[in-house]
This record gives sequence, structure tokens and C-alpha cells, in this order.
Amino acid sequence: MKKFFTLLKIEGKLSLRCVDSIFFGVCMPVGIMILIGLIAGQNPATSDGGYTLIQSSFGALVTVGICATAFMGIPLTIADYRDKKILKHFFVTPVSPTMLLWVHAVINMLLSVVSALLIYLVAKTFFGYEMIGSKLAFIGSYLLVMVSMYSLGLLIASLCRTVKTANVVCSIVYFPMLFLSGATIPFEIFPQPLQAVAGFLPLTQGIKLLKSSSLGLETSLLLPLFVLVGSLVIGISLSMRFFRWE
Amino acid sequence: MKNCIEVNNLSKSYGNRVVVNNLNLAVKKGEVFGLLGPNGAGKSTTIDCILGLKSFESGSVRVLGMDPTKERKQLFERVGVQLQSSSYQGNIRVGEVCEEIAALYRLPSDYRDLLSQFKLDQYLKQPVAKLSGGEKQKLSVLLALIPQPEVLFLDELTTGLDTEARREVWQVLSDLKEKGLTLFLTSHYMDEVEVLCDRVCIINRGHVLVTDTVPKLIQKSPYKRLEEAYLWVMKEEIAI
Repeated sequence: MKKFFTLLKIEGKLSLRCVDSIFFGVCMPVGIMILIGLIAGQNPATSDGGYTLIQSSFGALVTVGICATAFMGIPLTIADYRDKKILKHFFVTPVSPTMLLWVHAVINMLLSVVSALLIYLVAKTFFGYEMIGSKLAFIGSYLLVMVSMYSLGLLIASLCRTVKTANVVCSIVYFPMLFLSGATIPFEIFPQPLQAVAGFLPLTQGIKLLKSSSLGLETSLLLPLFVLVGSLVIGISLSMRFFRWE
Repeated sequence: MKNCIEVNNLSKSYGNRVVVNNLNLAVKKGEVFGLLGPNGAGKSTTIDCILGLKSFESGSVRVLGMDPTKERKQLFERVGVQLQSSSYQGNIRVGEVCEEIAALYRLPSDYRDLLSQFKLDQYLKQPVAKLSGGEKQKLSVLLALIPQPEVLFLDELTTGLDTEARREVWQVLSDLKEKGLTLFLTSHYMDEVEVLCDRVCIINRGHVLVTDTVPKLIQKSPYKRLEEAYLWVMKEEIAI
């Protein structure tokens, strides 16, 4: 365990030195929250009645941190460490390279949780946000979305042989997920055809789940749950099949 | 004397290309053993197979009596490894990479002592990326010494080092040899091999051409220095 925490401390410091993960994972979603608060404040949400825009976007905004870590942080770090043979080097030590992967999973989880907590604190303190639904259900949904997205990030890392391809694939996945899933721009204001297409993104389903649980809606969550668990299973099993240490 | 490293009939190929062909070697405890050969001779692949990093078609490997793939965790508490052209995490500092490696072992040596032995102590807080090529290379040898190894593998240990730095590394290794360290190295510098190695094995295209002590190898050739003797062996092989 001491090994794990020493690695966590050092690798964590390294992650904090990369400004981009902090910017995209923490500053950007908090900024968007402040922006929505200032623009819309207590205005009602566009489509569903009875909620403020902040209440309706909260579930979506907390996924921005997940998105940044799952589709940037995790795959790019793994591809970089593999390229630099850092993972390979762990094979000739008493510690398995898997430990290094876990260390990074924990760092990224911490980063997304910090991002989500900051969004919550900003929303609550400055814009009087209250969660309508059960907090426990929300936390459960949040964790499911997180592991499911991380498994897809791991899959990208497994399928991309070089840092260059990983970079390209990450951008191709990250930006549509960010803008089309409803994480940053409310899904409801999209035109119908775009909604239909965006519905295929796993994160869209994740946000549906988070939104329902934060608003305490009684809608059927079978599809989102199915998509998220499906992504998790597919992500993990394909990663295990295709993962290369070097 | 006990053999620290034993390789029997090792063969490895990539597709149709045979990279290591029926290789045999044994390194005794306390010995400094050099694996020599031109680029692409199969040196790094041989080291990778010995360390369990690559699977091989046939043959067997034992290091300190253990199977490197099956008893990896116990074995690598006692074995230090420097891999060819190592690189490090972006923006990691010298002290941090040392601390991280030291954390992986049960009984690591004090990396601060090693840093001063290698004259790298003034860089403790510097990013590794800012070090010169030679300093980085010294750092990679240093990291391999952190586990206080009984057996040390060094793949091209002084490539990129200046003359002075090479001497420093040789001095540290010679001192460790006095204390009973077993050393397995590859190098393209025959002066270095002459200074450090007790025995050498010359391979080409995965075949062992000769395994002998440095003085005997020179004696067998019509020359007085290892470099000429080495070239002579390589030429003989081409003639065959």
C-alpha cells in the first residue's frame, strides 16, 4: 500500500503540473456553471417545466470532468507511458505495471470528483441550487457513468498503437462527446435530427441518467443503464483483449 | 561457483526471421559478462528474453535460479535493469523519478548517496528533461542500482557519455564488482569491455560466435587489442 501511495503522490504531482487536464477537467466546467448561472440564473429550463436551468443542467455539467479525464487524461497518459517504455520498465521491478494504471485511474477519478464537487459548491453557494432527486442515486449514477466512460478511455488506449493516433482519436471522441451529448450545451435545444444522432453517444445516455436522478424524475432508465453497462462490459473486455504494454 | 544467469538453447524469432538461434550462456556469481555484437545481432532481444519481457519459442532461462516470468516479483527485488534508451514521464524531476523507483523495492539503497556518487546530486530538483544526454544516461544506470541488486543488467550502459562520465560509471561499477555484484552488459565500446568484462560472448544474427575471457579471446586472434580481435571474429564469421 505504501508503494501505491508513493506512486500516487508523485504521479499526482505530475498530473497537476499539466495545466490542460486541470483546465479542461475543472476550470472549464466550473466556468460554464458560472456562465449559465449568470445568464439564466433562476430562469426556467426550456422544455421540462418546473425546474430552473441550473437544476436541469447540473447533471450534465458534472460529466465534463469525467469527459476530460476519460477521453484525454487516461488514454493519452497510457499511450505516452507505453511509448516511453515506462510501462515496460515496471515489468522488471517487483511491482506490476497494472499498479501504475490503477494509480492513474485514481488520480483521474479524484480530478473528476473535485470538478463535480466544485460545480456543486458554486451552484449551491452562488445560485441557490438544490438537488431535487436523491443524492445517493445521483452519486451511484455518477460513479456508473465514470467507470463506463473510463473503460472507453482504456479501450482507446488499447487500440491506438502510438501517441499520435491516440491524440487524434481522443480529439475525435472528446469534442463530440463534450458538445453533442449535452454536457456543455443543453441537449433539449438541439434540433430533432441532431438529437437522434447524439442519442447514440454513450455519454448522452449517461447524462440522461444523471439528469433524471438529479431531478428525481420517474422516467424509464432502462436504455441509459443498458448503454452504460454495455459500454463498460465492451470497453473492459476489448481492452483486455487488445491491450499492449509496449 | 554457482551460475547466476543460465540460458540454455534459447531461440526466438519474429515471424520468419530468427533473431536468437539456439543461444547458450552462463554467468557466474560475481562475474562481469559482456554480450557483444553489431547492431541488430539480437543483443537486446536476448536481454528481453532473459528478463521475461519477451516470450521465446524454445529453450530455458534461469536468473538467480528463478524463472523470470513465474517468479517475477521475488526475482526483481534482487535484480537491477537498465533498458536501452530509457525515457521518463514528462516534467518529472530527478529526485521524483528516484523516489518513485525506490518506492517499488523492499530494501532500496539511498538514492541521494547514488546521486552524489554519479555527481548528479545538484540536479535533485531539476526536471529530467533538462538533463543532457549523458546525464540522462547516467541517471538510467543509477536507477538500475537503486534496488541494491545482486545481478545488474545494463543495455548499452555508456552510449552518449563523455570520457569523464564514462570513467565515473566504470568506477562505480568496478567498486560494486569488488562487493560481489554480477553484471551482464552490452556495449559497442571495446575499451569499456576490456576494462570491465571478465568474459564476453560475441553474437551475430542470433548465433553465438565465441564465448571466452577477454585475454584468451585476444590471444586467439592475431591482434593485441580487443577491438581488433572483435573485428577479426566478425570477419571470420563472414568468411564461414
